Amino acid sequence: MNPSSIPVLDTPDSLPFDLMRVPGLGHLFRWRYARPLLQAPLLGLSLVMIVHGLFGPTLAPKNLATTLSWLHFRGVLVLVLLCAGNFFCLACPFMLVRQWARRLFAPRFTWPRPLRNKWLSVGLFVLILFTYELFDLWSSPWWTAWLIVGYFLSVLVVDGFFKHASFCKFVCPIGQFNFVASALSPFEVKVREQDVCTRCHTKDCIRGRREPISDLVTIRGCELALFQPSKVGNMDCTFCLDCVHACPHDNIGILSRLPASELMVDPLRSGIGYFSRRKDLAALVIVFTFGALLNAFGMVSPVYAVEAWLGRMLHVSHEAPILGLIFTFFLIVEPVLLLGVAAWWTRLWARIPRALLPLAVRYSYGLVPLGFGMWLAHYCFHFLTGLYTLIPVTQNAIASLGRPFLGEPRWTLTGLPANVVQVVEIGFLVLGFAGSLVVTYGLAEDDSPDKPLRAFLPWAAVCLVLWSASLWLMFQPMEMRVMLMSG
Amino acid sequence: MSGAATIRQRLPDQKVSDPFLKRGLTGWLATVICAATLLQASCSRPVASPTLVTIEHEISPEPTRVGSATIVLKLSDATGKPVTGAHIAIETDMSHAGMNPGFAEAKEAEAGRYKAPLEFQMAGDWVILLHVTLPGGEKLERQIDVRGVRPN
Repeated sequence: MNPSSIPVLDTPDSLPFDLMRVPGLGHLFRWRYARPLLQAPLLGLSLVMIVHGLFGPTLAPKNLATTLSWLHFRGVLVLVLLCAGNFFCLACPFMLVRQWARRLFAPRFTWPRPLRNKWLSVGLFVLILFTYELFDLWSSPWWTAWLIVGYFLSVLVVDGFFKHASFCKFVCPIGQFNFVASALSPFEVKVREQDVCTRCHTKDCIRGRREPISDLVTIRGCELALFQPSKVGNMDCTFCLDCVHACPHDNIGILSRLPASELMVDPLRSGIGYFSRRKDLAALVIVFTFGALLNAFGMVSPVYAVEAWLGRMLHVSHEAPILGLIFTFFLIVEPVLLLGVAAWWTRLWARIPRALLPLAVRYSYGLVPLGFGMWLAHYCFHFLTGLYTLIPVTQNAIASLGRPFLGEPRWTLTGLPANVVQVVEIGFLVLGFAGSLVVTYGLAEDDSPDKPLRAFLPWAAVCLVLWSASLWLMFQPMEMRVMLMSG
Repeated sequence: MSGAATIRQRLPDQKVSDPFLKRGLTGWLATVICAATLLQASCSRPVASPTLVTIEHEISPEPTRVGSATIVLKLSDATGKPVTGAHIAIETDMSHAGMNPGFAEAKEAEAGRYKAPLEFQMAGDWVILLHVTLPGGEKLERQIDVRGVRPN
C-alpha cells in the first residue's frame, strides 16, 4: 500500500493517542511489509535457538534455547503486553513460515464448526503447563528446541489444511495467553471514527482489498473474523495490521485506552459474541489466572512436600499421576469451589436473578488482572534476575564456533539483585489485585446499581484469597528440581 | 443468541498476491538454513580424546543443604597414581537458566586430593562443572550433578 495515496483524516484533539500517528512508527506500521520485517529477526532467532538447543550445551544456563525461551522471551512478552499491546503476535515468526508455506500449499478446508471456540486451545494451554512441569522444559535445551520445532510443525499442519488464521484463533496456546493478557494493554487496534465506517461500502478491513476485475485479494482483511466497526477490545486480535493496510480510508489506528476497560463491559463483540455467554472464554481466563499460581507453585519448596505426601498416601512413585492430581485441584476443584461459592453468595445477597454458572462466567473476567499480575511477577523475576545472562551465553555460543570475537564468556554476569526484583514483583501483584477489584466492582455496579457492594464483596473475597496466595507464593523459598519425586 | 455465534461467520477466501514472499523470503530462508547448518557442523567438530583421568568426588555435609559446603576431589591416572599439580576451577550452576553461578578454585590438600568451598544459594538441583588443567597443560571438563539440595 502506498500511504500517500490514502486520504489522511485530521485527528481531533478529543481522539485518544494513536501510535499510527507517531512519526516513523506510523510509517513503519503502514508499510505493507512491516510484519515480515518484524518477524524475520524472530524467525532467525528461533532457528538459532533450535540449533543451539539440539546441538549446543546440555546445561540450561549455558544454552540459548533455554535462556532465551524461559528467561528473556517470557519476560519481554509480558512487559510488552503490559506497556503496549499484543505486539508479539504481530512479530510472530511462526506466521512468517506459514505465509511462506501457503505460497506452496493453499489451504482448502474451513475450521470444523464444533472446534470454533477456545476449548481446544484451553486444553493445549493446560497441556503446555503440564508438560513444562513433567518434563522440566526449563532445564532441557533439547526439549525446548523440540517444543519450538513442534510449534512450527503445528502451525504448518493446521494452517496448511485450514483457511484463515485458524491456528491463531483456535489452537495457539501462546496466542490465547496474549489475547487474555492484552485486555490489560494500554493500546488497541481500533477504528478512529465510526462515521467513516458507516459510510464505507467495501468493508475491506474484513473482506480484504480486491482488484476490481479479477476480484483477487491484493491486501488481506482480518483473518480472525474481527470486523473493525464492531470490534471491542483486544480479544483475538493479533495486531497483524491487515485491517490497517486494507482500510481504504486510513481509519484504523492503534489507539490508547484504559487498560482492563474491555473487561467491565459486555457488548456484542465482532468475532467473539458476548463475554458473559462464552463459557470457553471463561475457562481460558480461569486457566490463565489459576495457572499463574500453579506455574509459580511448581518452583517453590512446598510443592515437593505436597508431592511426597500425595505419593505416600496413594502409594504412587511416578510423577505424572501426582502432577495430574495437583493440576486437577488447582485448575478445576479450586476454581469451581471459589467461583461457585462467590456466585451463590452474590445471587443470594445481591438478589441477582441469574443462574450460578452465568454469574460465575460473567465475574470470572474480573480475575484477569490478578492472573496477569502473577504472570508478570513470576516471569519478571526470572527475566530481571537473569537479565544479563544472555551476554555470556551468546559469547559462549560464538566461542564454540571457534571464533570468540565477542570475547570469553563472562559467566559472572547475571542480573538485578533478587531483593530489588522482589519489590517489582510485589508491585505487579498489588497492581493486579487493584485491577481485579476495580473490574469486579464495575461488573457489580452494572448488575446491582442500588447495592453494588453486595454483588462486589463475594468477588472481592475471591480476589483477596487469590492475592494472598500469590503473596505467600512469592515469599516461599525457590526450589528447582528436575525430578519432583526424588525425595 | 449464543456468545459464540458470531465466530461462525464465513470469511471470504482471500488469495493474496505478495511479491515479498515470492522473492525475498525464499532466499532469506535459504541463507538462514545454510547458517544453521554451518553452526551445527561447527558445534559437532571432532575433539581430541582426553587423557584417562579418574575424578572421584565427595561433598559434605551430606545431605546437601542450602549454604556452605565442601567438595573434595581425588584425581588419579590410569594406573591409580594420584595426579598432582593440577589446576581445578569449579563452577556451580542451577538447572534453571538465569540463577547466580558460583565460582571457586580447588586447592591441593595432599597428593592428588583437592578441596574447594562451595556455596549453594538455593534449594533444588545443582550442577558442578570442573574445569581441570593437568600439569601437562591438557584440559578436561567434568560435570557432577547434585540432586535435591535441601532448604534449611
